[in-house]
Amino acid sequence: MPVLRSREIPPVPPNPRKARYNVDPPSTPTQGREQPATRLSSPPSLTPSPKTDGSVYGSAPFSLRRSLRLYSKGSSNADDQFGLPAVEKSIGSRNGDVSKKRKLSGDVDDGDVNGGGGGNEVVESYMKGKSIAESEYIEKSERKDEIENVNRKRRFSREEKGKGKLVVETDLESEDESLVDVSFSDVELPAEEVKSPDEKLSKRSNRRTSGGRMERFRDAARRNASRFAYFNTREEEEENNNNLSVEAEREIPSVEEHIEEKVVEDWPGPFSTAMKIIRDRTANLNVRQGSSSSDQVPSVQIKWVPQKGKGKDGSKRLPPSLLDLSLRVLVDNADAIASLDHVPDAMRHKLCQMLCDSRQMNSNLLDLLLSGSPTEIRLRECSWLTEDQFSECFVKCDTSNLTVLQLDYCGQCLADYNIPSTLARSLNSLPALTTLSLTGAYRLSDAGLSVLVSSAPALRSVNLSQCSFLTHGAIEILASSLASVLLELFINDCQSIDAMLMLPSLKKLERLKVLSVAGLESVTDKFIKEIITARGDGMKELILSGCGKLTDSSLKIIAETCSSLRSLDIGNVPKLTDNSLGYLASGCRSLELLKLCRNTFSDDAIGAFLEISGEVLKELALNNVGKVGHNTALSLARRSRNLVSLDLSWCRNLTDEAMGLIVDSCLSLRVLKLFGCTQITDVFLYGHSNAKVEIIGLKLSPLLEHI
Amino acid sequence: MKKEDTVKLISAEGMEFVIDKEAAMVSQTIRNMLTSPGGFAEAEHGEVTFPEISAVILEKICQYFYWSLQYARGKETEFHIEPELTLELMMAANYLHT
Repeated sequence: MPVLRSREIPPVPPNPRKARYNVDPPSTPTQGREQPATRLSSPPSLTPSPKTDGSVYGSAPFSLRRSLRLYSKGSSNADDQFGLPAVEKSIGSRNGDVSKKRKLSGDVDDGDVNGGGGGNEVVESYMKGKSIAESEYIEKSERKDEIENVNRKRRFSREEKGKGKLVVETDLESEDESLVDVSFSDVELPAEEVKSPDEKLSKRSNRRTSGGRMERFRDAARRNASRFAYFNTREEEEENNNNLSVEAEREIPSVEEHIEEKVVEDWPGPFSTAMKIIRDRTANLNVRQGSSSSDQVPSVQIKWVPQKGKGKDGSKRLPPSLLDLSLRVLVDNADAIASLDHVPDAMRHKLCQMLCDSRQMNSNLLDLLLSGSPTEIRLRECSWLTEDQFSECFVKCDTSNLTVLQLDYCGQCLADYNIPSTLARSLNSLPALTTLSLTGAYRLSDAGLSVLVSSAPALRSVNLSQCSFLTHGAIEILASSLASVLLELFINDCQSIDAMLMLPSLKKLERLKVLSVAGLESVTDKFIKEIITARGDGMKELILSGCGKLTDSSLKIIAETCSSLRSLDIGNVPKLTDNSLGYLASGCRSLELLKLCRNTFSDDAIGAFLEISGEVLKELALNNVGKVGHNTALSLARRSRNLVSLDLSWCRNLTDEAMGLIVDSCLSLRVLKLFGCTQITDVFLYGHSNAKVEIIGLKLSPLLEHI
Repeated sequence: MKKEDTVKLISAEGMEFVIDKEAAMVSQTIRNMLTSPGGFAEAEHGEVTFPEISAVILEKICQYFYWSLQYARGKETEFHIEPELTLELMMAANYLHT
């Protein structure tokens, strides 16, 4: 077991191990796997350490493989690396097999141009605490970072391919990691699997040959032993975009267990795997930069180069469409409109929207809208409408064909006493009404709602947000007459509705698909548990923003029960931790829209979540999720092929390079919101090559158009 | 203007407007009509009829096409629309997806 070995640093006689490197590598990974076992017993210079014991190898193939890999380094870097592996081993497997593997993969690449660099990199990445040793190597290697990255990348990718195959095949079938690995493999460069077994052998041989290095490392190990005791699971970035091997390597739960103490382990699976990979990536990065950047946080080196002239030319503007032009003229001359007959509903809505926004809507226009037998009335804003005007207009309105009635912010005009004369003139006055929105009707009470609902038996979507007078009795009314038809219910900010009191009625709504309880302080974990257990199967959309009392247990239940959830809004729920993302990743597989706002999720967790669920995601909002950083950017770039709308406002840790990588990789992206991201410069704005994306929120964009 | 580069747009009254193909392609609807495979008459003869759009509106639409090309090439001027036409123009523009 590697753990045993960690305590001892066996002296390795400096035999010329390089000769071993030149042994013909096996042509297939399987062959390679077999060979080390046989070779273990053969070399005479092998020190009698448990590592080299064939039985050890047999019993813990992965760990041994790793140790072998540690030892074998690129041929060009043989000297440097001989001592390191032993020291690394001695330091222990604390850093996890994943990190070891990564290093091994990095080093193993024989054919890598920068073998010396590779070896050093491996060592560095492996030993977090061995900053001194690493720095020595760094100094010696004289690598530049770019070369390192490139080499590391190549090395890792090859390694990963080889390793991934070796490891995954044997250990990972039970997990989804194989899926992860396969997907990563698609991206990786063709791996030189041949190298892996060969490397293993060479590593072993390398280990034995360097004595001087060993001593140096031993000293370094002694100096840094105390630092190894601190296991930092929260590293930041990795420098290797294509470091898929890390993901493949994260198996070996036995070794990982003691490492993952900080992580709640009740969601094993692809998310924990992804998290480990990301942490190891940053761990490796940390290790490499150990001594030189002890204070500063290592930043992921995202490789993105702005390309001039390929993206949307900022100065060139598309001509406005004729539709927009004529709408603008119409709005300006709204009082001259004589009739809106024959104007299709979509046009009417656009016109109303522009009129309401410019405060030019008046009762005459409302009359025009209501003339004939309208099918849809959508008024975004009715605060200009007085009670009398409302009564006048709606008294003579033929509502028999009305399917959609939206009177937002109608508090001034709508009260209990004028409903019977206007909207609910008879029991069947709104027979076709399927969508009703009366937000802000602060004078509407349960009784008034009862009258209204009794006239509209076919209601499918009800929006009663901010109707502060309604109590749980309103939900009872809805449940009594609309239990079998109601699909959507929005009761944002209805402060008089107590969540637990309305629970029995809510459970009666058999076909509820969309539920919004945003801003209701009485929504607790218990409420979520009850309603989700009752209705979670069919739930498609949940809006829980602002429900400050919710914790991870609610998300756990949601993830477990709502398998067809498409849209989730958990903004402004501060108590949620990374575990919630873990639950979501493993549970809600068809999540297309996720809105986060001011949540405290870490960069690692979001990155890991995107690795798992990023493919299906169409809209993502990470508004003011301050810890978003390069891991998220990398995961977005890799995974989010279908992402259409992205909100990264106030994510101030993202650099131009990260943004550029995201925008150039997410080819479906059409809208990118960057309010408050003043760290983004023209380098990104004019250097990205995605011609279809619209960037909102930076200095050039008019703000109010996008509300 | 060569015959191959032009299309003929026919209004409800029968008035015909001959414009460049490039200009007509500003309208997504016309673009689809002219480029869709399947041997449609519009594509073959280069003629599109609009029985619901009157001549005045159609004329304004053609003017918009050329203005749009000009705007895209950098010359940004203002496109004036008489208020009386706006309602019908809006509906025609919606139909033509322009």
